[in-house]
Amino acid sequence: MSIFIDETTKVLIQGITGKEGSFWTNHMIGCGTNVVAGVTPGKEGQQVEGRDVYHSVRRAVDKVEVEASMLFVPPRFTKDAVFEALDGGIKKIVTVADGIPLHDAVQIRKAAMSEGAMVIGGNTSGVISPGRAMMGFFPYWIERVYKQGRIGVMTRSGSLTNEVTAMVVKAGFGVSSLIGIGGDPVPGTRFAEMLPLYEADDQTDAVVIIGELGGTMEEECAEMKGLGIFTKPLVAFLGGRTAPEGKRMGHAGAIVSGGKGSVKDKIKAIESVGGKVAERPRFVGDYLKELLGDRVR
Amino acid sequence: MKLFEYQAKETFRKFGIETPAGVLIKNAEELSDAMAKTSFPIVLKSQLLMGGRGKKGLIRLVSDEAQARKECGELFDSEYNVRKILVEQAVDIKTELYLSITVDPVEAKHMIIACGDGGVEIETLAVESPERIIREYVDPDRGLMPFQIKNVGFSLGLEGDLLKKFSAVLANLYKAFVSSDAELIEINPLFITGDGNIIAGDGKLSIDDNSDFRQPSYGKTRDYYDSDAEYEASLEGIPYLQFDGDISLMCAGAGLTTTVYDLINYEGGTVANYLEFGGPNYKKAVRAMELCLKNDSKVILVVTFGTIARADVMAEGIVDAISRLKPDRPIVTCIRGTNEEDASRILKEAGLVPLYDTEEAVRKAVAIAKGEKP
Ligand SMILES: Nc1ncnc2c1ncn2[C@@H]1O[C@H](COP(=O)(O)OP(=O)(O)OP(=O)(O)O)[C@@H](O)[C@H]1O
Ligand SMILES: [Mg+2]
Repeated sequence: MSIFIDETTKVLIQGITGKEGSFWTNHMIGCGTNVVAGVTPGKEGQQVEGRDVYHSVRRAVDKVEVEASMLFVPPRFTKDAVFEALDGGIKKIVTVADGIPLHDAVQIRKAAMSEGAMVIGGNTSGVISPGRAMMGFFPYWIERVYKQGRIGVMTRSGSLTNEVTAMVVKAGFGVSSLIGIGGDPVPGTRFAEMLPLYEADDQTDAVVIIGELGGTMEEECAEMKGLGIFTKPLVAFLGGRTAPEGKRMGHAGAIVSGGKGSVKDKIKAIESVGGKVAERPRFVGDYLKELLGDRVR
Repeated sequence: MKLFEYQAKETFRKFGIETPAGVLIKNAEELSDAMAKTSFPIVLKSQLLMGGRGKKGLIRLVSDEAQARKECGELFDSEYNVRKILVEQAVDIKTELYLSITVDPVEAKHMIIACGDGGVEIETLAVESPERIIREYVDPDRGLMPFQIKNVGFSLGLEGDLLKKFSAVLANLYKAFVSSDAELIEINPLFITGDGNIIAGDGKLSIDDNSDFRQPSYGKTRDYYDSDAEYEASLEGIPYLQFDGDISLMCAGAGLTTTVYDLINYEGGTVANYLEFGGPNYKKAVRAMELCLKNDSKVILVVTFGTIARADVMAEGIVDAISRLKPDRPIVTCIRGTNEEDASRILKEAGLVPLYDTEEAVRKAVAIAKGEKP
């Protein structure tokens, strides 16, 4: 079993007929994902990659069983699309939209919390369990980055994920499940909320978090480890160690302000509970070797 | 987008929050008119986005015309690039409070922060005397409830007429926060005047960039940016930060660019500029390189690892930019991701040396910046 999705998870694609939607539907299927249907208002009766398209989520879930929904919906319509998926009873939702309005993001997370659902994203490449399934867009065909294995990865960045994961693979490991939390200031799901899933996953031996300056998500992970809720080895790579205070480095969430969110504080928190923080992407592989020894990877 | 104090105060007034009488001036000549519309003492408030203006001497209380003219001239001529001054009637202050609203990403709620000690930096207070800070969490679906307003007001020790006036301010501030799609709305200080009024003494309003499409346009002008280059880049939609080191970064993706920035510092190099041309900008190599060339950097470092931002397209962009701009400094490339084999071929054909390892590329750039032959 992997976390969030595997090859059996029944996936709906909202926005399946769009350019991005249809292109990545093809790749998701290619990667092993069990895509069962799609939704685009006004396009019912069409097919994409042999999957039926419905006008709405409600009409789709009336006809086929759905466990998770992948949104290829523009940022300004994402809140509506997430609420529609929740209305359809779907509990796992991934949104890759880059540019979701902040106040929409707050309402999305709020709704997910009260419905007992999990919304991953936005501003992410999504979720992948290499060799099994993916929801989102990852270059899964690049073996030196997306090799199947036993390391869980969580990330706030797309570009940096390829960089760090390549180092994990170079060190002889592979990835069990990779969850892209995303680079927005209010992600639907936070790092720490994934840790219990990795803890329970018998295919994950250790977790790598790819974080950066800003916010408190890395500190929350340290807290989980400190409480003993998460007990597996934890290795972090954090971007922005040398970033000047007050400058926003790329992601809207990546800023040190009012003395909070510095990488220094994050390192302290993680190391104080026995986690390792790699100064360079390459060291992530070294730490994994040190912590896991010759265990099966 | 961070707004200036005078813009924040315009929003406050629109939502029924009182501000001191004031006039915005763009040069020293306009001061006469502003003085005619106010009476002494007045406060000259430099309109800058950075915090701590008072401490830097950029807020001046003046009591007569001669002093006003002299200090106004000083502010416009200061090293801080002051382009506008808000000339405000001085208020008879009895007490200063702190009041702000922001979002709490963990609880997924709006968070009101209030404090009886206005004027001070709230972050400092949060560390030194956290018990003085009042927090109230608002469910975004329910909105701000009257009992919550009272909770905040009573915690601040307000009662009677003042409590009533404060309640109106907080209710209006919350409306302004929601309808402006604000990341942060802050009144610090919120004055309680000698005659029992409540007036916004300062204003901070930061609007979420992702909500631009449903917010009035404030128009991007040079005064929102620290440098010409940052302004120019923003018009192109290219994330750009100006530094003053030797190596120009031309990278893709926020996380990777930030990491390259760190690695350069570890290797003893210095960064001239941070620039991202990934994501929607991956075809803007020419504009991106042009921005880099405006710096007197010694080398341009290109590092990418893209999926949708294909490696071959980015390599072509670099080659195209080189042939058009004929850069006067070496370019180090490390372009990987979708179609990376094609990218390598394209770079080699153009006489460049494709590297595949980020650290190796960073070391190469640092060595060149220190004088080594490319
Ligand atoms: N209209 C006014 N009348 C009387 N005093 C004022 C007035 N405006 C500002 N002041 C005084 O000046 C102090 C500083 O002003 P203000 O809060 O606007 O700037 P600041 O906080 O130093 O700058 P920044 O907000 O950039 O950190 C206030 O705390 C207040 O005591
Ligand atoms: Mg102030």
